[in-house]
Amino acid sequence: MPDLKVLLVDDELEFLEPLSTRLARRGVSCSMATSGEDALRALAGRQFDCAVVDVKMPGMDGLELLRRMRRDFPAMGVVLLTGHASVELGVQGMELGAFDYLLKPLDLDELLDVVRRAALHT
Amino acid sequence: MSREAKSPYRRLAGQMLLVLLMFGLVPLVAMGLAGFAAQRTASETRTRTVLEAMVKNRRATVELFLEEKLRQLELVASALPVTELSRPETLESLRDQMQRERGAIVDLGLISGDGRHVAYVGPYNLQNLDYSAQPWFEQVMVHGSYESDVFMGFRRFPHMVMAVKKREGGRDWILRATIDTDQLSDLVREGGLESGADVFILNLAGEYQTRYSEAHRLMERADIAVPPLHSGVRIVELAGERPREFVATAWLRGNDWVLVARQKVPGFVALVTASPVVTIGFLLGLLVMPPLSLLVARHRLTQIRGLEMERAALYESVAQSEKLATIGRMAASVAHEINNPLAIIQEQVGVLTDEIADCAGGAMPCDELRQRLEKINAQVQRGRKVTHRLLGFSRRIGPDVEPVDVAEALNETVAFLAKEAEASRITIVRQFAADVPMIRSSLAQMQQVFLNLINNAIEAVGHDGEVTLAVKRTDATVEVTVADNGPGIPDRERNRIFEPFFTTKTGSTTNSGLGLAICRETMHGLGGEITVESEVGRGTTFTLRFPLEPPSEPPGAGRGRSR
Repeated sequence: MPDLKVLLVDDELEFLEPLSTRLARRGVSCSMATSGEDALRALAGRQFDCAVVDVKMPGMDGLELLRRMRRDFPAMGVVLLTGHASVELGVQGMELGAFDYLLKPLDLDELLDVVRRAALHT
Repeated sequence: MSREAKSPYRRLAGQMLLVLLMFGLVPLVAMGLAGFAAQRTASETRTRTVLEAMVKNRRATVELFLEEKLRQLELVASALPVTELSRPETLESLRDQMQRERGAIVDLGLISGDGRHVAYVGPYNLQNLDYSAQPWFEQVMVHGSYESDVFMGFRRFPHMVMAVKKREGGRDWILRATIDTDQLSDLVREGGLESGADVFILNLAGEYQTRYSEAHRLMERADIAVPPLHSGVRIVELAGERPREFVATAWLRGNDWVLVARQKVPGFVALVTASPVVTIGFLLGLLVMPPLSLLVARHRLTQIRGLEMERAALYESVAQSEKLATIGRMAASVAHEINNPLAIIQEQVGVLTDEIADCAGGAMPCDELRQRLEKINAQVQRGRKVTHRLLGFSRRIGPDVEPVDVAEALNETVAFLAKEAEASRITIVRQFAADVPMIRSSLAQMQQVFLNLINNAIEAVGHDGEVTLAVKRTDATVEVTVADNGPGIPDRERNRIFEPFFTTKTGSTTNSGLGLAICRETMHGLGGEITVESEVGRGTTFTLRFPLEPPSEPPGAGRGRSR
């Protein structure tokens, strides 16, 4: 299977970097964006199989980004991440069209599974 | 602070007592005085009224008596001819008759126009006396009748004479009778007996005409002045007399005599004892009022105090709830804050793990390995900062640097624990030097450390002990000591107490063993240090040294140490 192309969006580069390294080892090629605007720019540039988006970001938050992604790039699945153990956000996200919702700290295998399924889904 | 709390209560108690006393005593005394005054006026009026009535009554009685005697004499004089009257037997029988019927007659005599007794019956030896020169003789000759004052005549005891003129056969005769003044005195005195007044008659010269008591001597000048002529009954108060005395007078007998009645008005003692129930009630009231007021004041004060304490406890529990609510609110974002670094750590660890898995060859260069480990550590520091904030007490999130009054900060911290200490009968002793300067530091963090140490000290003592707080200035530092007289810490434990997770308190679910570790970390962050001295059986002393100048990096910045 060719490398999956995933867009990682989180305001913390410190988080994106190691995650992207690990995912790369596992056949997932990642681009990183540290804000909603960055992400939209990246999406305009190339195609991605899936986006992994942190819900809590300064400026445009994850849910807002999700809305726009679903509107502008409906073919791409979006997986939400958050440090909050909040059910409401999960439900909200799902209602807005997220593919799935994961809690930080991540279980990498779980993430991989969801990303692969999201990619297949589109 | 408990010392200050006492004096407002004391003052309140004093005020309350004063008010109660005033509201109790003032009306009581006022009513007592009013009652007394009313009583006095009433008794005065009563005295006057009784006196007036009695004087009127006596006057009427006396005048009737005298008039009757005179009429009697006149009747006899006109009824019988001289020839009859000249006979002693007639006179005697007349006298007896008169005595029997009306009494009071002592002797009876017929006197001729030239002043000599023609006939006489009576106990005295008068036969050869010549009355022609006597004033009364002239008077009866001129006016036809005569009544005398009481006087001492030939008989050397007080008597009173009545005489009537009889004209017969062109010549004047006088029928003369002597009245027993004792009967007159009796008559007069009767009036006074019931009312307790001195009643007597005075003549124009102010001489007693009747006797009332041993104090009176007939014919003596009374110590009372003869009043001016007046009609009816006149009542005056004798000036300067104590107790007060009223004198009622009435002129009688053609204004020759004046009837006098004097009565003392009941004095203070008499008035008071007149209504013993009221007096005793009044005195009882006065006696009972102060202790009763005291009791009531005390009771109320205890109530107020209780209410205050309830309110304070309520306030505290509300404050506590608020604190918990705030923490609760914080918790959600704090959880997020902690989870992020943890997630990152995990990823970094994951990368390294991946690397180690293809262990042969070590595709990752050493430098990169080191870098990644460094990043892991940085995230751990970040996480710890957040947990520090959660575990400690802080009013402001964030280590702001500002000028801090160390003693004041200490006092504020103690205030939170004051109740606990008091409940365990632990006294907190303060030894604050006067010349300690303000220092630039983080108030929140400083108080965090204080709270921890003081709390530990109180727990170490348990109950009935002392915690001593001292603040003083040394060359380069402000030194704060927290000392307790608890059981002390043995040597082997003392070396380890600043270690994280090291604790000697067993069975505590909330004790993390991090308290002193955090204190030390905080102190280092503030540019200071914490040390401990202890002796088993005597107690423990923690010493904090704060630099006069803050460290160059802001307090709270990690020093890159993992412990």
